[in-house]
Amino acid sequence: MVDFSALTSALDLMFSGMGPWIFVIPGLLIGLIFGAVPGLQVSMAMALFLPLTFTMDFIQSIMFLTSIFTGGVYGGGVTAILMNIPGSSSSVATAFDGYPMACNGRQNEALGLSLGASVIGAFIGYVVLFLLIQPLAVVVLKLGPLEMVLVIAWGLTLIAALSGASMAKGLLAGMLGLILSQVGMSTTGVLRATFGSSYLLDGVQVVPAMIGIFAASELLRIRERQTLSTRDDVPPVAFRPIIRAMFSTFKYPSVLLRGSAIGVLIGAVPGVGSSVANLVAYGEVRRTSSRTEEFGTGLPEGVIAAESANSSSEGGSMAALLALGIPGGAATAVLMAAFSFHNIVGGPAFIRDQGDLVYAIIVGNLVQVLLLGIVGLLVLRLLGMVIKVPLRYLVPSVLALCAWGGFGVTGTIAGVLTVAVFACLGWLMRRHSYPVAATVIGLLLGRMAEGEMVRSLQISGGNLGSYLLERPISMLLLAMMVFSIVAAVLKSRYARRAALSPDTQE
Amino acid sequence: MSIRLAPSHAIFLALALALTFAMNRSAIAAKFSLNNLIILAPASLLAIVLVGVIVFSQWGREEDQGESLRKTAGDILLLALFCGFCGSMFYIGFDVATFFFVWLGIVICGERSLWKPPLFSLVFTATVTSAFGALFPFPMPTLVF
Repeated sequence: MVDFSALTSALDLMFSGMGPWIFVIPGLLIGLIFGAVPGLQVSMAMALFLPLTFTMDFIQSIMFLTSIFTGGVYGGGVTAILMNIPGSSSSVATAFDGYPMACNGRQNEALGLSLGASVIGAFIGYVVLFLLIQPLAVVVLKLGPLEMVLVIAWGLTLIAALSGASMAKGLLAGMLGLILSQVGMSTTGVLRATFGSSYLLDGVQVVPAMIGIFAASELLRIRERQTLSTRDDVPPVAFRPIIRAMFSTFKYPSVLLRGSAIGVLIGAVPGVGSSVANLVAYGEVRRTSSRTEEFGTGLPEGVIAAESANSSSEGGSMAALLALGIPGGAATAVLMAAFSFHNIVGGPAFIRDQGDLVYAIIVGNLVQVLLLGIVGLLVLRLLGMVIKVPLRYLVPSVLALCAWGGFGVTGTIAGVLTVAVFACLGWLMRRHSYPVAATVIGLLLGRMAEGEMVRSLQISGGNLGSYLLERPISMLLLAMMVFSIVAAVLKSRYARRAALSPDTQE
Repeated sequence: MSIRLAPSHAIFLALALALTFAMNRSAIAAKFSLNNLIILAPASLLAIVLVGVIVFSQWGREEDQGESLRKTAGDILLLALFCGFCGSMFYIGFDVATFFFVWLGIVICGERSLWKPPLFSLVFTATVTSAFGALFPFPMPTLVF
């Protein structure tokens, strides 16, 4: 189940010096702050700070980015509890019971429970990843190029179908990414669609594109607000009761385990992630509780279910990235870009050939989660104040950093202009509810899909249809893809009918 | 009955179509082969169909304009300023471009004080220029810092 020789090398790599850990605490702090400020997303922070990782070694850069990820998922819960303003979509369900607890003067208990559940949930997520990565690799190694094409297509379809917008909009966003990925030199050596620009020879620069589409376009959306909250009555925070409540999380083992299991499973599905995981886990724990009607009035179980699920989903989403090389969402798309910069491609070959790096990432994240418990506790008071930042100063400053970040990746004007172009594109897309993450993932996976497709054509001698019929795994993947599309269409029709039915209109 | 799309939505769909056609034209001109078009052609075809589906889903309906005209105008102004900033960094210097962009950006975002935006912008520009100047391995044109 576990490759012990790779694990030993990983432990040596991680604990033979301070190198891998230097940027973990700054990363956690950045994540906590970005997570706590509504409108600033974790993926935005990761994209913005990605150019800084280019001077780091691979492990340092991944540890830095995953610590932003870990901190960001927890940060959103703090403002959800104290102010009823979820810092990110992954903390919506935390507010359901966390805020009523704060209103009843139990804010310290709620903060402690959310911190405890986040740490334990994320820990469980990474333990599951640690135990399953090797068996997963054995399965994934059986996938040929055609299966990889189908996995990519399935992932893109899921992202498009489950990202909340209409399926047509989601698919169009994904197709736009695939089309943009075809700019520049093809995998077969044909130079196309550079439109006379030497900057486009290697294709669209993915990192500046991400910075523009994730960060810059989102900043324009929150521009008009003065501060995120005008309330002055942030409940007081005290450490001793928070620590006590943190340990009392263990009194709810079944809620913790169910929340974490739901988080891991949902996190592994491309396009879903922590935003859905916290709501599903909350709903499930509420449904099976003997005190269903008390949920929403300040029950600790509600906070624990939501926070353990959103944190454990990180381990699930890392499984798809490490085992298949396919990012399940915006945050893992940024991680994949960091992989590419260091000439590392996630997927079965990565697990087979560089198992030590895979285990180093997992072990590093396990330690990082424990550090979150300490850092999160120390900055709780600061996070309560973050919400008062005047956005009229924050928005132009972070926008300027986006342009600098674009330059930091390429060292030419091309990076900066790519940020500007994708900021405009992202603004238009967000305005009409197109999922920008689908475009980025299409852009990231387009080249890989093209290479695998060309290989499939060569292996099959140009007869893909009969080759597909010879491969049961391909057939299974195709069936699953068709099922996902049909299920998404039926679900949206059912939701539309339910909305139009006279009972719901009353 | 008619189709009424919000102007910004129509612009986005027109851009998507224009990009699709331009990409295909260039790729076909470069080499008309299955290997060269294996992703581009199907993705383009699907994109064109999806644009049609999205447009016709608005049949007989007026699309929600999304946000107020004032908010949209403010967004476009800031976006235009940002594009101008990105385009001018290499010509007037990273520091000068950043200083003016942050100053004007703060004003566009609603700050009424006359002295706070330039002061904040000056401190911000000095900090960013020296921090990134030390971190980035590339030379960058600056005028003051």
